[in-house]
Amino acid sequence: MGHTSEREAHSVSARILLVEDDSQIADYIARGLDQEGFVVDRADNGRDGLFMATDSQFDVVVLDRMLPAMDGLTVLKAMRAAEVDTPVLMLSALGSTDDRVSGLTAGADDYLGKPFSFAELLARVQALARRRSGVTRVQDTLLRCDTLELDRLTRAVRRGTRKIVLQPREFRLLEYMMQHQGEVVTRTMLLEAVWDYHFDPGTNVIDVHISRLRRKIDDGEDRVLFHTVRGAGYRLAVD
Amino acid sequence: MLLLVAGVFVLQLMSSAGAIFFLRGQMLDVVRADRVRQVLDVRDDLLATYLQGGRPALAQMIVRQQGSAADPTVFIALTGGPNPLLSNLARAPQLPVAPNPRPVMVHLGPDIPDIEGMAIAGQMSDGERLIVGVMGATERRFNLAFATAAGLTILVAVALALASALLLGLEISRRTFAIAQTAEQFASGNFGARLPESRSGDGFDHLRVQMNRMADRIDTLVSELGAVSVSLAHDLRSPVARLSAAIDTALDRVDEPGAVEALHAARENADGLRRMLDTAIEITRLEGGAVADQRAPIDLAAVVQDMAELYEPLAEQSGVLLHTRLAPATVVADRELLSRAIANLIDNALKYGAHAVLLSTTTGPGWAEIAVSDDGPGIPEQSRNRAMERFVRLDNARTLPGGGLGLTMVKAVARLHGGDLLLSDAVGAGTGMRGLLATLRLPA
Repeated sequence: MGHTSEREAHSVSARILLVEDDSQIADYIARGLDQEGFVVDRADNGRDGLFMATDSQFDVVVLDRMLPAMDGLTVLKAMRAAEVDTPVLMLSALGSTDDRVSGLTAGADDYLGKPFSFAELLARVQALARRRSGVTRVQDTLLRCDTLELDRLTRAVRRGTRKIVLQPREFRLLEYMMQHQGEVVTRTMLLEAVWDYHFDPGTNVIDVHISRLRRKIDDGEDRVLFHTVRGAGYRLAVD
Repeated sequence: MLLLVAGVFVLQLMSSAGAIFFLRGQMLDVVRADRVRQVLDVRDDLLATYLQGGRPALAQMIVRQQGSAADPTVFIALTGGPNPLLSNLARAPQLPVAPNPRPVMVHLGPDIPDIEGMAIAGQMSDGERLIVGVMGATERRFNLAFATAAGLTILVAVALALASALLLGLEISRRTFAIAQTAEQFASGNFGARLPESRSGDGFDHLRVQMNRMADRIDTLVSELGAVSVSLAHDLRSPVARLSAAIDTALDRVDEPGAVEALHAARENADGLRRMLDTAIEITRLEGGAVADQRAPIDLAAVVQDMAELYEPLAEQSGVLLHTRLAPATVVADRELLSRAIANLIDNALKYGAHAVLLSTTTGPGWAEIAVSDDGPGIPEQSRNRAMERFVRLDNARTLPGGGLGLTMVKAVARLHGGDLLLSDAVGAGTGMRGLLATLRLPA
């Protein structure tokens, strides 16, 4: 949906379990994910969802919070109790901080308030799928993207031979982008990960931070690493 | 109205003056008649003595009268004969013979000023002239007495009128003040404010009853409007989501750059609409207190510092200097909500401020404040309350993007924390700014 290049990002079609009782929303999500090359299985209530999640292998579970038969939070707790460690993206119409906290405490890997833009959901599903496939090297101390290097221990950043001085927040921003290189990261994801805020400021606050960082990294270089993904966010990659 | 009251007051004074004047005339007539009778009685006595005993008897009586304690104000003169007689007099007054007493000046002695009196002159059969009179300036004394009385009356009337006007005014202003106070509360958004109704049935009670009925009606309309707008916002979310999905689908199918550009613009606007709807619903949740308590002790200065850092690049890009003047202030608050509120205030200040925005935190006994001031055009005092209402965008804001929910959201967050949002002039607030000063006050 607007960024077809992402299709190549997960060569092996990742399997998604979508547990959502609202058929309209479920259709919308399933169609979108299908177009992005995911294989989507659907359940419209909590009990079926739990059964499917424990029975077969999925890369990501998209789980609605409010479900008939068994609510999303119970499904999640039961999954974790059964040692099913599939990454779970929880959806909720409640959508405020308190719900997020209880969702994450119950073992959700990410949380998204309804309504969301599909680009936001897609970016998050892709991030979770990638984490599942072990592509992301979250634990590495030295992060690399083309000639860009970031040392998480010494906090040194260089592009080739050029030393780059970053403010602490810029460092965290770049660190997050490098951990998720090749993936689309949305403004909301950045605000959550780097600033620990869970609201949408609505203005281009994050864009300005990115463009500042981008100048420090890409200015004067032959290959640019920062890419803007229209309608979604940003991507750090060689191409 | 005031003229009418003054006119009534003057009429009242004039009528009481008239009454006093009339009374004076009546009393003067009575006293005059009394004195005339007194003069005539004395003369008749003298004449009777004269008729019985001739002139010697008369002379004897006049002499007896002289110095008599009986009535020192009565004076008698017998003139025109070989040996005139004077009683209580130094010189006989000049008086023509007449059937009725007349006013006359009485000479009592060389060192005593003449005094007024009333006397009658009669011609005796032997050619002598008998003058009988009483001393005393009846009319002048009366005039004096009545002038005093009138003066006192006017003085008392004026004092009473003033006092009653003052009391009446006080009572009216006390009652209207109570009404105005309630109206003010109502105007500032407390739609539950009502006036106490009594059954006295006077104009004020009627006013109170009618105002309460008006308030009930407005309250009903406002809550209906609120409910309608919230359910509208809820209902609009699905079509907006479908709109976004349709735009995404279209984006996937077209390559023509112009169409892609237009679809991206449509997509951004759909996102903006979605955010507005979300915020509107969130505000309703906040106003209704329908949020879980996530409050914890936090340092306001740290939260503001974080937000300042978040917005600093945007400020720089907009050519605005973002200053901070932070003092540590611990409050019990929901960090997320408070940060959103501060973000809204900064966003607003950046939108309308010209060159500088100041963020400050201060504390006082029992409270802590976050103040965001700018050097923009500010908001006129009469528009400030409206600026915090849902979807209200003041005239100068129409050209800038935004849904008119920013300040509403901040106020809702402030209220949820038991605080308030106040808008004022930055001028004179010691910030060095001259635009709008938005103060988020929280209990500490």
